[in-house]
Amino acid sequence: MFIGQDITRVDALDKVLGTAAFAHDLKNNTMLFACVVRSSRPHAMIRKIDASAALALDGVVKVLSHKDIPGENLFGAIKKDQPFLAEGRVRYKGEAILVVVGVTEEIARKASGLVEIEYEDLEYISDPFLSMRSAILIHDGGNLLSHRKVIKGDAGKGFESSDVVVENTYSTTWIDHAYMETEAGIGYTDERGHIVVASSTQNIHYKMKEIARLLAIPPEQVRVVQATTGGGFGGKLDVTVEGYIALAVYHTKRPVVMRYTREESFLGHTKRHPLYIEYKTGAGKDGNLTAVEVNIIGDTGPYISYGETVCLRAAVHATGPYEVPNVLVNSRMFYTNNPVSGAMRGFGVPQLALAHESQLDEIAERIGMDPLDIRMKNALKRGSLTATSQVLHHSAGLLETLKGIEPFWRARRKQGPGSGFGLGCMYYGIGNTGISNPSSCYLTFTPEGRVEMHSGVCDIGQGSDTVLLQILCDALGMEEMGIDLVRGDTDTSLDAGSTSASRQTYISGMAVCNAAQKMREYLEGQGYYSGKPLKDICREAAEKGLPVFKGHFDPPTTAPDPETSQGAPYATYAFATHMTEVHVDEVTGVCKAVKVHAAHDVGRAINVSNVKGQIYGGVAMGVGLALMEEFIPGKTESFDNYYLPTSMDMPEVEAIVVEDREPTGPFGAKGVGEPALIPQAAAIVNAIKDATGVRMRQLPCDIERLKLALEKNKIK
Amino acid sequence: MLPKFASVIAKTREEALSWLSSLENPRIIAGGTDLMVKMRAGKQYSHVIDVAGVPELLTMTETDGRLSVGSAMTHARLSTSEPIIRNARSLALACGLVGSPQIRNMGTIGGNLANASPAADSIPPLLIHDAVLVLESKETRRRVPLEEVIVAPYVTSIDRKELLGSVEINPLRGYREGYRRVAKRATWAISRLGVAFAIKEDKGRFTDVKLAIGSCTPMPFRPKKVEDLLKGAEKNEAIITEAIRMALEEIKLISGIRPSYAYKLPVLKGILEEVLRG
Repeated sequence: MFIGQDITRVDALDKVLGTAAFAHDLKNNTMLFACVVRSSRPHAMIRKIDASAALALDGVVKVLSHKDIPGENLFGAIKKDQPFLAEGRVRYKGEAILVVVGVTEEIARKASGLVEIEYEDLEYISDPFLSMRSAILIHDGGNLLSHRKVIKGDAGKGFESSDVVVENTYSTTWIDHAYMETEAGIGYTDERGHIVVASSTQNIHYKMKEIARLLAIPPEQVRVVQATTGGGFGGKLDVTVEGYIALAVYHTKRPVVMRYTREESFLGHTKRHPLYIEYKTGAGKDGNLTAVEVNIIGDTGPYISYGETVCLRAAVHATGPYEVPNVLVNSRMFYTNNPVSGAMRGFGVPQLALAHESQLDEIAERIGMDPLDIRMKNALKRGSLTATSQVLHHSAGLLETLKGIEPFWRARRKQGPGSGFGLGCMYYGIGNTGISNPSSCYLTFTPEGRVEMHSGVCDIGQGSDTVLLQILCDALGMEEMGIDLVRGDTDTSLDAGSTSASRQTYISGMAVCNAAQKMREYLEGQGYYSGKPLKDICREAAEKGLPVFKGHFDPPTTAPDPETSQGAPYATYAFATHMTEVHVDEVTGVCKAVKVHAAHDVGRAINVSNVKGQIYGGVAMGVGLALMEEFIPGKTESFDNYYLPTSMDMPEVEAIVVEDREPTGPFGAKGVGEPALIPQAAAIVNAIKDATGVRMRQLPCDIERLKLALEKNKIK
Repeated sequence: MLPKFASVIAKTREEALSWLSSLENPRIIAGGTDLMVKMRAGKQYSHVIDVAGVPELLTMTETDGRLSVGSAMTHARLSTSEPIIRNARSLALACGLVGSPQIRNMGTIGGNLANASPAADSIPPLLIHDAVLVLESKETRRRVPLEEVIVAPYVTSIDRKELLGSVEINPLRGYREGYRRVAKRATWAISRLGVAFAIKEDKGRFTDVKLAIGSCTPMPFRPKKVEDLLKGAEKNEAIITEAIRMALEEIKLISGIRPSYAYKLPVLKGILEEVLRG
């Protein structure tokens, strides 16, 4: 049995020894260095580009513009709308305009500073409210990217029959992924003439296709390899360095390396969407929720990236994990000239959790009910209908997570003034929203008698390599881990889809199970389970060619109704409850998260340490989201003025693993990556209310905002 | 990326002073925690003269009741130094809060002063200890009070040819002394506000009060009028309220009204209340 065991991660030793090769470690002295010249303006027409001084610099090999792109200049995960290199117009500060290739990093960077660009400024659309009114269109189709609705029952009638209605607005800001490793990669042409790119990425097959489009060559002539990756959190789903590396290799015919500086990473890459949320909640005196009406307005920046995904996912999760009979959600995303907002751990759901969890606490306060009791009363459970009227047929362990927290909640005692406790709950659909998002893999044998798993899954530090191996061992009924892993390479694997949406354990895990089932039947026939050694089976099989067993899984979902979003957008959901104890210093406005209990229904913990690791990391990110992280366009440049929590800001975390097994998942597993983050900020904000009487509705709740709110409250 | 420069390692004070006098555009480096950041941002020098290992700059001596601290002593050393903890507790506390462990292990008291940031943690404690800086060049040697050395944010009156050799401070014994600071996170953060204090009380009266406030005005300062008001005064809420009012007035007089004061002044009020009430 490998499932449920604390198997040491397969990447642990290399990382501990420092021998794991991250993208930039793959460079050598023969490689050219490429860097990007970026727009210094948020919105402008490019009138003139003078690269002569850059080209005149000794050691500069090429300066590439959009004119040097042989194929399509536009890329995008959902729709192709973002230029690799700007054509005549820039729409955000930091947009890529040129690629400068030099013999060293020093030369390339120096040369990029010598490029002179003349701009003619256009009106800077600085927020979505300006965007919706402005006559200036960021794209010809208008400034509204997307409008999604969730309509269930009759919200108006629901409010009429409510005993108590609470209505508030909430807002959140841009968050940087702040992965330890900035965007980096290398590229070269191999002996077949194929373009090879090895990079820090969350998805290899998608990037292979984008490079093929960019260079107008068949995807089979592009190979993308995932280097050991130092974090992604959604920020390495979009094409980052890969396109520029491929373009530079294409033109120079020489190997090329790229690595963003931290400043460039802050400036150039995607952010978490700032959302403005108007939220109205109705309930009966008994605490039963009667209606929810939510109006979400998001700043998606100038290009789509994952904006539509966030728009829809935020909408369908807007009620939180509760049974609400009447729901009306309007979720709209507007283009602006701020940074491109894209995918980041939770796709809009952490922002909504702040709102629905604050609302629920306020309802509880109004009717004199305990915050835990009101959550238990409304919790989604087996047989419940979600906001999209999906029936939860299987795993739905929210109540179990609440029960896991209950003893700590009931026993809580304030440690003097400034001490407070808060709860946060969440549910999260595993996999992409209402669209096909399959994963494939294949298994074979080595002539020496080992099983070989070919996986296209990008392990970005969350531990999927180990988890998939554990699943495979158990699915094959192996007693020891006799498996070779061939991974993260488009030449040797099938498309497993992106490492995003908390989907790899569930979806790719099922693809592995599917392949394993076929291999198991074969092994059965060969007598493996009656004692014939695998070595012998493989030696005999090798003579006629080793068999290949393909696995595939696509979670059953239905497309959301275009008007009401009703349907079953996800095959399964994860659930969680966090309880956070804070201490607020009312003199300084400093809030410290002291202790967190985090209960997560993961279906089945394939690797308990991995699950707990995700929970600790999620809590850490939640602390940053709640208390300090804020990217301010035009101002934030680096970690000098972007405050990321340190280990000294971390609470003690006790993870409680709840296993309500999901029959459609591998050995009952669902996912935990994003859920680990989602309820934490909400729990902190509720705890601050408990500690101080002040309700914070704007994130981050940093020392200055909190102090000002405390002062205001004093005057009141 | 760093601009091109040469570096020399001084073994003695004399050597450092000779280089300072002979080189074209030199700069002293000790820990480099500020200097390297500035150079990476484009600041250019022909040479950096590394004094981190100069023995004369790494010593601490006591003469005539004054304590002399070598300028190349690191924050980490000062924060755990027994004579500092005994004679200048606020300085030990402040040095223990600078940046991060890495910065405290590299950064020095001399560098913190020469950089002259409005938010330098070591400056308010040094102000309440009437710090005097010993500045030497090949030809001259002068002793200048800290208040006079810092002339504007990040600007000092230290000559290009001068080396900050040591900092002399008045020990304070029998005082309730400390350093309170506020930052945006638990560690690795620049102070948003820092208050050094040393208070002596006897039979319900303030017999002596020394205060210095950092990260609030262009340069950390001592509200001397407030200190005078409190000296000898009966300790009660009325005098504390008046003292705080005066301190806040003085800040507004120095800097006018700044957007950050919406946060800083109420916080300072709260900290001064706590500090004065004791």
